[in-house]
Amino acid sequence: MDEFQEILQDFLVESFELIEQLDQDLVELEHNPQDLELLNRIFRVAHTIKGASSFLNFDVLTHLTHHMEDVLNKARHGELIIDADIMDVILESIDLMKALLNIIRDTSSDSGIDVSACVSRLDECTGGGAKDAKEEPLIEEEPEEDEADYENMDPDELEAEIERLLQQRQAEDKAKREAKSANESEKETPQPEASVSKTPVAVTPTPKPASVEEDSDSSDNVKAAAPTKKVSAVEQTIRVDVKRLDHLMNLIGELVLAKNRLIKINDDVEERYEGEGFLEELNQVVSIVSLVTTDLQIAVMKTRMLPIGKVFNKFPRMIRDLSRELNKKIEIEIFGEDTELDKSIVEEVGDPLVHIIRNSCDHGVETPEVRLEHGKSETGKIKLKAYNEGNQIVIQIDDNGKGLDVDMLKKKSLEKGIITQKEAENMSDKDAFTLIFKPGFSMAANVTNVSGRGVGMDVVKTNIEKLNGIIDIDSELGVGTSIKLKIPLTLAIIQALLVGVQEEHYAIPLASVLETVRISTDEVYTVEGRSVMRLREDVLSLVHIGDIFEVERVLDTSEYAYVVVLGLGTSKLGLIVDTLVGQEEIVIKSLGEFLKGIEGIAGATIRGDGGVTLIVDVIAIMDMAKRVKASAIDSTSDAAMLTHEKTEASDYTVMIVDDSKTDRTIMRKALEPLGVTLVEAGDGQEALSILKQGDYSFDAILVDIEMPRMDGYTLATEIKKYNRYKNLPLIAVTSRTGKSDRMRGVESGMVEYITKPYSADYLSSVVQRNINFRSEFLK
Amino acid sequence: MSEKLKQIISKQNKVEEDINHSEDIVQLVGFIIGDEEYAVPILAIQEIIKPFPWTRVPQVPKYVVGVFNMRGAVIPLIDLRLKFGLSPKKHNEDTRFIVMRHGDDVAGFVIDRLTMAIRIKKSRIGPAPETANGDNTLIDGVGKQEDRIITILKVNKLLERDF
Repeated sequence: MDEFQEILQDFLVESFELIEQLDQDLVELEHNPQDLELLNRIFRVAHTIKGASSFLNFDVLTHLTHHMEDVLNKARHGELIIDADIMDVILESIDLMKALLNIIRDTSSDSGIDVSACVSRLDECTGGGAKDAKEEPLIEEEPEEDEADYENMDPDELEAEIERLLQQRQAEDKAKREAKSANESEKETPQPEASVSKTPVAVTPTPKPASVEEDSDSSDNVKAAAPTKKVSAVEQTIRVDVKRLDHLMNLIGELVLAKNRLIKINDDVEERYEGEGFLEELNQVVSIVSLVTTDLQIAVMKTRMLPIGKVFNKFPRMIRDLSRELNKKIEIEIFGEDTELDKSIVEEVGDPLVHIIRNSCDHGVETPEVRLEHGKSETGKIKLKAYNEGNQIVIQIDDNGKGLDVDMLKKKSLEKGIITQKEAENMSDKDAFTLIFKPGFSMAANVTNVSGRGVGMDVVKTNIEKLNGIIDIDSELGVGTSIKLKIPLTLAIIQALLVGVQEEHYAIPLASVLETVRISTDEVYTVEGRSVMRLREDVLSLVHIGDIFEVERVLDTSEYAYVVVLGLGTSKLGLIVDTLVGQEEIVIKSLGEFLKGIEGIAGATIRGDGGVTLIVDVIAIMDMAKRVKASAIDSTSDAAMLTHEKTEASDYTVMIVDDSKTDRTIMRKALEPLGVTLVEAGDGQEALSILKQGDYSFDAILVDIEMPRMDGYTLATEIKKYNRYKNLPLIAVTSRTGKSDRMRGVESGMVEYITKPYSADYLSSVVQRNINFRSEFLK
Repeated sequence: MSEKLKQIISKQNKVEEDINHSEDIVQLVGFIIGDEEYAVPILAIQEIIKPFPWTRVPQVPKYVVGVFNMRGAVIPLIDLRLKFGLSPKKHNEDTRFIVMRHGDDVAGFVIDRLTMAIRIKKSRIGPAPETANGDNTLIDGVGKQEDRIITILKVNKLLERDF
């Protein structure tokens, strides 16, 4: 059983590879029907599959390929000219073959698909009817020799041979009937034939190594037949389970995180031990580790790369089918099919490309008559190009059809209620082009098989954006349309811009960041309740990241803010953030089942300090920005400033910040008679964390200037950053008496300056004044 | 002396045997939220850790306080006080994160205080009290011990997303 499974696996992998090649060859064959080389190659594929499937007892498949082989063999011997109609039948049979192989892969048997209709059409091609009985032998295992044999046979032998063939034929017919009845009994299940013959069956990629051409023996045949290319240079390849590669990729991700962490620690150490000898050594090690990690990451990424030709291969066939269906003449040219992409991305770009190309065929390229009228060549041309550009791969689809009519686009969108009259008027041509990606939009007057449901291009957009890709569309009326898909090379590790808002950090994929600008708050205007700013010639709409992510505004916003200009295709958005932290390589981690699908969040990453940072979903943000109300930069929430009614002396709370226990005690003694609540802190850091905890609401803070870890000036500056503590009286209590010290105190936000030594009464009175202590509480 | 020791050892062995021989025993870990004691099966607990920094996640219910990094995995953190409708409370030195796992689902839960590991006979566990929630209840059963009642929670329900 296991052995059988093993053989079956090999058979399937080989067959799918062969068929992929077959589609292309057949389309080529239609243009050069006399190309014997090509015919031979195609014949051999059918033959190989037939041979293997009969060995594995897949009768239906054998039956089908047998008849295919029959037609091809005739063509090979010049008895049959392959025209478009015959090609249709052949292609149909190949689709059936693919469907059968898919079924075999899923169920290990080839029942469930009726091939008899197709087989009889194939028979018609060969001249139809019973006279085939004599020609059947042509397609036996060694067809060439059989033909010669008949001449030399004596009548008896011939009789016996005919007898044998008749029996074989009967057996086949029986099989055919069985297949038919089997199909009829399964009428309830969706009609396989109908669906198979209409939609081009996508060859589901089975796990394959990066280069597949070199390792199957059938392509050895191809090589022998076409001795023009590839002399020796046989590449050595290994088939590897994709799971193992995924695992490897995960491990690399962990390594990148560890590397980031190492770099951060290195920076910290550098700061603390500046100028010490071991630093240089540490630096070297860190840079080697980071270099090797990057190389390793690239190397592993490369092992997961597949040539995009895998996807491109099916398009010549599709174009051929479409042009016949639509009665148009369309040619496809493919460039850069060797361009490599991560496996997971290759699997995702197939569908969008199908939609774009269908669209080009249906709406782009005109009918031959119209083309001639406009002085174009009768045959429309679609160019499919793939190339690398920086860290991205670009797939470009050009057609020389009629182009996009901006006015028509706007009119249609208005009709369907996708845009408003006002929007239509203000829309640039570029923006208008992107209308075709809106859900529900369709240019087709009526729904056809090919397009017109207004779904396809929307799918393109969502799929490409899911890959963090960008769509760029350009068109000239009467000349053609060009669509560019820009896709990142890999999904797992990306470059990101880290931004800060209040006390939180977020990572924005760098691919979507066009630029960053620093603005002052008065550069922000409000138009119809939305914040906008002027960016060179354009008006850029703005949204505060804090409004999108419901960030609590505890820190006071400074005079300046940073705007991260996000670009997605042709739409732009300015995201206001408080700080720019920097650029970093991040590993995307999922938030897991529990938190998946949170709007605006694409995932999370772990930073060098071990903390988690959320990754912004730029597409979602652009959407959310339309809904978020502009609270702009200058809105301050004063809710926290509510002062509670004081009913007794202990409702007043004062914090004493001093590193000396003695000084704290002196202050405590001075203030205790008032009956106010006193909290002590040993230094600025401690004071700040007590404040942040929010257990107390303070009415005043007494601050010593000279303190370890964080001095009084820094503490005052930090405290003043918080909105709710803006008006909190800070009283400096210090032995520093210089004028400059006093000045610094005022600058950092101190309201009073008490110099040591002081009398207890004086301190008490200053505090009373500052906290508005009500005299009736005095005992 | 050694006689005494032997006696003690044999006594201990006996106790252990008793437990082993008696009917099914369930091992639970008990903890306090608010004023009540709850418990979850010990096998559902991946680890119990002291609180450490987490990252807030927007657009989720209040009781999902955020996500944290546990050795490279990003794990959601849920405050059971808020989930059970109690008022929020500052974390103190008794506060713990209990990381629970059910299948592939993992999450950390903030609890007020751990109590103890509990061994309880299956027969001592009663069904969940009739509640309006019916199937949706978080309560698996109620364990009765001499001096107290422990609410046993369903880990799979705790880890289920309900927003």
